[in-house]
Amino acid sequence: MRKGNLNSNVCNRTTGTHYFKNKFRVIAAVFFLLVTAVVTAAPCLAQQDWIKTGTGLGMEKVRLAVPDFKPSTSDAKNAELLKVFNDTLWNDLDNAGIFEMASKSFYPLAVPGNPAEVKFEAWNSPPPNAAMLAFGNLGVTGSNVTMQGWLYDVKNITSPQVLGKQYQDAATSDAARVIAHKFADEIIFRLGGGIPGIAESQIYFVSSRSGHKEIWVMDYDGANQHQVTHQGSISLSPRISPDGSRLAFSSMTKSGWEILMYSMDLNRLLSFPKFGGTNLSPAWSADGTKLAFSSSRSGDPEIYTVDQSGANLKRITSSKGPDVSPVWNRKTGAQIAWVSGRTGLPQIYAMEADGTNVQRLTDQGYAVSPAWSPNGQFLMLAWTRHYGPGAPGAEDLYIMDAASKQWVQLTHDGGRNDFPSWSPDGRHIVFQSSRSGSEQIWSMLADGSNQKQLTVTGSNTQPNWSWK
Amino acid sequence: MAANAEIFFEHDRWGRNLAWSAALHIAIAGSIILYAVFGPGGHGGTWGAGGGGDAMGVTLVSSVPLPARSVQTQNVLANESKGLTQSLPKTEEKEPEAIPIPDKNAKTKPKPRISESHQKAQPQPEEEASNVVPFGEGGPVSGPYGTFNAGGAKGGFGFTGGGGDFGSRYAWYVRVVQQKVSENWLKYEVDSRITEAQRVYVTFDITRDGHPSNVQVEQSSGVPSLDQSAVRALQRIDTFGPLPPDYSGNRVSVEFWFDYKR
Repeated sequence: MRKGNLNSNVCNRTTGTHYFKNKFRVIAAVFFLLVTAVVTAAPCLAQQDWIKTGTGLGMEKVRLAVPDFKPSTSDAKNAELLKVFNDTLWNDLDNAGIFEMASKSFYPLAVPGNPAEVKFEAWNSPPPNAAMLAFGNLGVTGSNVTMQGWLYDVKNITSPQVLGKQYQDAATSDAARVIAHKFADEIIFRLGGGIPGIAESQIYFVSSRSGHKEIWVMDYDGANQHQVTHQGSISLSPRISPDGSRLAFSSMTKSGWEILMYSMDLNRLLSFPKFGGTNLSPAWSADGTKLAFSSSRSGDPEIYTVDQSGANLKRITSSKGPDVSPVWNRKTGAQIAWVSGRTGLPQIYAMEADGTNVQRLTDQGYAVSPAWSPNGQFLMLAWTRHYGPGAPGAEDLYIMDAASKQWVQLTHDGGRNDFPSWSPDGRHIVFQSSRSGSEQIWSMLADGSNQKQLTVTGSNTQPNWSWK
Repeated sequence: MAANAEIFFEHDRWGRNLAWSAALHIAIAGSIILYAVFGPGGHGGTWGAGGGGDAMGVTLVSSVPLPARSVQTQNVLANESKGLTQSLPKTEEKEPEAIPIPDKNAKTKPKPRISESHQKAQPQPEEEASNVVPFGEGGPVSGPYGTFNAGGAKGGFGFTGGGGDFGSRYAWYVRVVQQKVSENWLKYEVDSRITEAQRVYVTFDITRDGHPSNVQVEQSSGVPSLDQSAVRALQRIDTFGPLPPDYSGNRVSVEFWFDYKR
């Protein structure tokens, strides 16, 4: 079969007028968009334009209307908090990738602030034509802000309520942001099939804006950026533990490159053994009990695993040529994918966590930075398919089905794209790209759509998305 | 000293008492027999049945608010929903005429059978795009049944549970199930030589926490790899998300069918 297709059935179809014949199919094609099916269907979109003429590839997204929440009190601070809340909620839902947001200009003039004010006909028919409606109110009383929010299935008039929530917190704009994140996550959890939303997740990355390369952290949408480490040397490849309590990274120390462990609870370094040689790119196993990393303590960079305490060092590769950048299968914890230069240029390999059953996954070019998806099905990798003098290859991100080794290219528009990291919901990717002129952090949906720049100042690299 | 020592100082005259005792025993035994023969209730006709006496009248207490049985099947053939599929007039299929076995010495060749593609084009029944407007209603999935389209292959499902109205009360949940199953069905797992297959029916339960359990192939397609891929699609799913909080049942049963066409 042709390379580049995750789903031969979906993508191998020729355009043909056959599919135009049926008007329903064309309608369905326009609506086709779907987040995880993205992974089967939409990658083709990124690669080939004809998918728009195809048939209904999965289901359309839920059309969601989110009118601005109304003030429930007459406090002066309402306006400010409402703005923060409404913007955050809209962005979270828009970023989720599972909704088609009905534009606010389509909404009726009277928006509801509580269930009694909902006029179903005004929402479930064009122009808003929404399937779901999220609405509510927010008000400041004294030093507290209270938010009430509902999610209604407006096409189901007899039993419309899907969700009803009330939150209370201090009346600050940060709290309003948190409330919006929590409410958005609830909605995404319900309508996204039990996968928790990522609105409260964080992204760790390397930034040089303080003069040294240090580890920084930001909210998933790029807000709230602040520095974590103050090593004063070079720190790279931050990896947050699955429970979010510790950060492993590699740093230039007096004795060379070592793995350091930083406690996010204590805000200081923890003791972690120094193994000697150059130790790089730690990776947490999904249960948080083990780390894999590459070490050149024996001369040649090889993959080692070690307990999270630093005990029980085990070497699991033993071939000539560098072996670096290990990642665990996030679903099973039983496989490790890594980059090996055993045949010359770096390629992606996978093996069992004990070092057996080594398989090569990429067939050519220069492939680095594997990242295993949370459901264990896909690997994201940075690949220069045509590498070498005279080969005008760009480094782009590809998604590969680990079992069938079929792949799809996700980024196209120039620059070097590297260091992909999956969001906990498996629907988003954060990565580093030089397309804006300098190295910056970008995010996108796992089908390559909706690419957004998250950082602007300094040089920001090697993002790592938290596990929850 | 007297040779025969008298050890019983008193000689009770108990012959008379013994007679009384015997008489009373006989009387009691006799009365039991008489009662058994002539007493009320006859010969045990209502033996063991409730209601024979006051003490036996224990029946199940209906006033205890036991939860309704979670699995109540609705007669899907005769509910008020117009349904999602429009029944099409059955296309008449001609019984293939018997082809005469050519005789060895036959002078005329048997007419070559006209293949179907050469026959006069029958009016193509307009195919229903299952995701656009369900027949009858332009709204959400109204019945317990629905369909989906994925990459040229079709699927559908039915819900039972919650008094049969789960599908209409929680249309949004049905949609989630539909979406997740179609997302997780990897059609490349099906043998690539298969271009079309019988519909495969898979049943499963969704537990309270949203986990699919008890996945079974109800009716095989006859293509093992297709059956496998359908079961795997469900095994790949960790959760559909918890059942709606106000739904009283413990689980929902789902029948899902997969139509495969390449």
